[in-house]
Amino acid sequence: MNEETTAESVAKGRTYGAFRCLNCFERVSVPTGAKTHKCPHCSFEWRLSWLSPDFPRIRGPVWEANRQLAEENLSKKQKGVN
Amino acid sequence: MAKVLILDYEKCTGCRLCELVCSVKHEGVSNPARSRVKIVKWESEGRYVPMSCQQCESAPCQAVCPVKALSRDETLNRVLVDYDACIGCRMCIAICPFGAMSFDVLAKRIIKCDLCDGVPLCADFCEVGAIQYVDAGQQSTIKQVTAADKLSEIMQKVAQAISAV
Amino acid sequence: MALNRKIAYIELTTGDIETKPIPVKVRNMFLGGRGLDMYLMYNHIKPGVDPLGSDNVAFVSAGVLGGTLASASARTHIGGKSPLTGFVGSANMGGFFAPELRWAGFDHLVIKGKAENPVYLWIQNNEIEIRDAKHIWGKTVHETQEIIREELGDRDIKILTIGPAGENLVRFANVMTGIKDAAGRSGMGALLGSKNLKAIAVRGTMDIKLERPEEALQYNKKVIEQITSAKVSQTQGKLGTPFIWGATNTQGLVRVNNFQLNQLEDADEVEAEAIDKVAVGMAGCFGCQVHCRSKYVIPEGDYAGVYDEGPEYTSQGAWAAEPGCRSLNNILVCNHLVNIYGLDTLETGSLISWVMELYEKGILTDEDTGGLDLRFGNEEAVIEMIHRIAKREGLGDILAEGPLRAAEKIGKDSIKYLVHVKGMSNLHSDERPTPGLALGIATASRGSDHLRSRPAIDLYHLPKQVLRNIYSQPVPYDGPVTSDYRDYEGKAWQVFWQETCYEAVDCLGICKFHTVFLGASLPSFEEWSKLLYYNTGLELSPLDIWTIAERAYNMERLFNIREGLTREDDWLVDRYFDEPTSVGIPGVRGKTIDRDKLKNMIDEYYEHHGWDEQGVPRLETLQRLGIENEPSHIL
Repeated sequence: MNEETTAESVAKGRTYGAFRCLNCFERVSVPTGAKTHKCPHCSFEWRLSWLSPDFPRIRGPVWEANRQLAEENLSKKQKGVN
Repeated sequence: MAKVLILDYEKCTGCRLCELVCSVKHEGVSNPARSRVKIVKWESEGRYVPMSCQQCESAPCQAVCPVKALSRDETLNRVLVDYDACIGCRMCIAICPFGAMSFDVLAKRIIKCDLCDGVPLCADFCEVGAIQYVDAGQQSTIKQVTAADKLSEIMQKVAQAISAV
Repeated sequence: MALNRKIAYIELTTGDIETKPIPVKVRNMFLGGRGLDMYLMYNHIKPGVDPLGSDNVAFVSAGVLGGTLASASARTHIGGKSPLTGFVGSANMGGFFAPELRWAGFDHLVIKGKAENPVYLWIQNNEIEIRDAKHIWGKTVHETQEIIREELGDRDIKILTIGPAGENLVRFANVMTGIKDAAGRSGMGALLGSKNLKAIAVRGTMDIKLERPEEALQYNKKVIEQITSAKVSQTQGKLGTPFIWGATNTQGLVRVNNFQLNQLEDADEVEAEAIDKVAVGMAGCFGCQVHCRSKYVIPEGDYAGVYDEGPEYTSQGAWAAEPGCRSLNNILVCNHLVNIYGLDTLETGSLISWVMELYEKGILTDEDTGGLDLRFGNEEAVIEMIHRIAKREGLGDILAEGPLRAAEKIGKDSIKYLVHVKGMSNLHSDERPTPGLALGIATASRGSDHLRSRPAIDLYHLPKQVLRNIYSQPVPYDGPVTSDYRDYEGKAWQVFWQETCYEAVDCLGICKFHTVFLGASLPSFEEWSKLLYYNTGLELSPLDIWTIAERAYNMERLFNIREGLTREDDWLVDRYFDEPTSVGIPGVRGKTIDRDKLKNMIDEYYEHHGWDEQGVPRLETLQRLGIENEPSHIL
């Protein structure tokens, strides 16, 4: 009989030493202590903070870099439509 | 080596779970008024200080007890109450420098920390480590490390400031 | 036993007080807290009463697990007909009040009538006394508690109180306990103020006997590990709720300059990590290991050196995003001001940012603002508006009436810029890219509200299987689930599920941060079933608890319908449909809510509930839940 609760099964999916990119939602591994990191999947760049040596989190965007990427991304999309 | 309970107000978040588990463990009820440990609060300053029996080596409660109801248990390094002998005079409450002896008005008897016979639940449940149960010799080591950590942090900042100049 | 706490009926006009036990039959129907309050509200508030008249009734309660070995069972619920919306008024706060109320012998207080002069209640071990409060009328939230403790000579007394805003009948005044714990929404402070009831002080030293203390201890330990091992709890324990900003503002899910932008760019000083720098430690509510309350001292300016707690995520929005301010100090000061005045931070900030937009658009002039330069980003003007609202001065007096009344008074096109549902302002979240969240605020029983049904984990892009696991317990669900928060599919079920989950925690008296709100692996129905059994002896399955929560939510719906709610009230303002988002990550840009799709979601949501297409519970639904004969006047 499976005694596992819903919460226990969900908890199994936890990962450490990585964050989820807030643009493309891929998991991104990052060297401990990095202050910023560029997502290898989508190139968006994030400012990070560390709750512990294996627990990074996104603090905010690298503003200028992501603004530029977003603009490029959107103009490409518009061109694609036209 | 016998262990001691150490109380660290800097870590306490004031949640009072220790009071709750203490009263459940000893009386089977939720009632902080019957807890052996107590968080004293200065709410408007955000200061929370855990208070409990220090199991003093030279215990004033033991000394003042007119019927020798309090005795030292060397194996667990604690002061124990003999309820058969206790007459409920509350002299121990009057003399305790920490307010750690208290009177349970429902059971009409004094209560004090008995270290849960070696597994103190307050420490067990305190996630932030404001209450810890450690080897007696470690207490000062822990204090030293914490103080040294702070000191070295300050030294580093000073060093950085100087090098920046 | 843990269920022997009583209900007290306090008639302030006559001074009569009556107490009654709460039958187990009623516990099995509504448990306690918000659930039982909703039963009581439907039974005791006559249809159509003036929310600020003496006919309205105020309800104060603890959850059925309050003060037990269920983690964070500290929540106090306050109910009544809302002075803000005219519908269900309901607000919930942490702290230490509810457990103390239970140690004093009570679970529910039903407060009727109106005292001739200001009074406060003093409740101690089964005794309730109505005391004169003339000397504390006008005092701040913090002062009031200090004065009462001093007067009654016991520093362990716990107090809930209103501030000057509640006395002045500001329609979104809150009820508070401690330094910052606030039953914030729907104007419960104004309700107490209208009764001349300044505060309730409690002290209890009576046992709450647990049904199975040993098992309760062991099981609580396990649940604590479950909670503290969750990454979200660790994050929240370090940074408090402002951590959420790192996900929402980073993507562009935050409304800025009222509703004109969806991201506060280049505002690093208002991020959680910046707030953490001035925090002097974290505090917890009763029995909670998450300790998400920051303690801080204002570092500079006119309020330098003042101690307060928070700020929460809501205050980042209210005092930075919405009014377009970018300094940390502004958040700290404004948070302090709403705390001492007893104002809902969220409603206050939202209304101020609304009039800022009106000012910039020329709808309000310098004459209307009393010379205040209400352009976005003007922090001094924001602070001044808080004072004016609390004291009901000038434009503040108009805003104190709440969004819809204020819009009517200001006239012109002002209502077009208002962001509200059912006359209650929205959080600073921008739901245009997130249909599930939009459905939640559109349908929430107390008005635009993120704490009634928000499927917040939708923002995490969780794998489908995880979502399926969560959302098909304890009621089977085999409809669609999607990991993308921009989808419309399956979101109606998620909202229904979350709504029932949140109602359940509010009946139990447990904090929402200890369930599937911000963290997917936190306790829910399965764990509660065990907690209930070990602590109270109630044998209820996860499904039973679900049904109780559903029943309670249907009571809220019935209350609202009796007060005139129609399907049209479950709807968003036009800005959600007509003004696309403009900034943030590419995936959230150019987003609006689609009217037809929202309509379909609402249909689906009603269907899940067993409500007809007008949103009225069907007879068979009420029969299934055993509430077809309400009001039944058992209590």
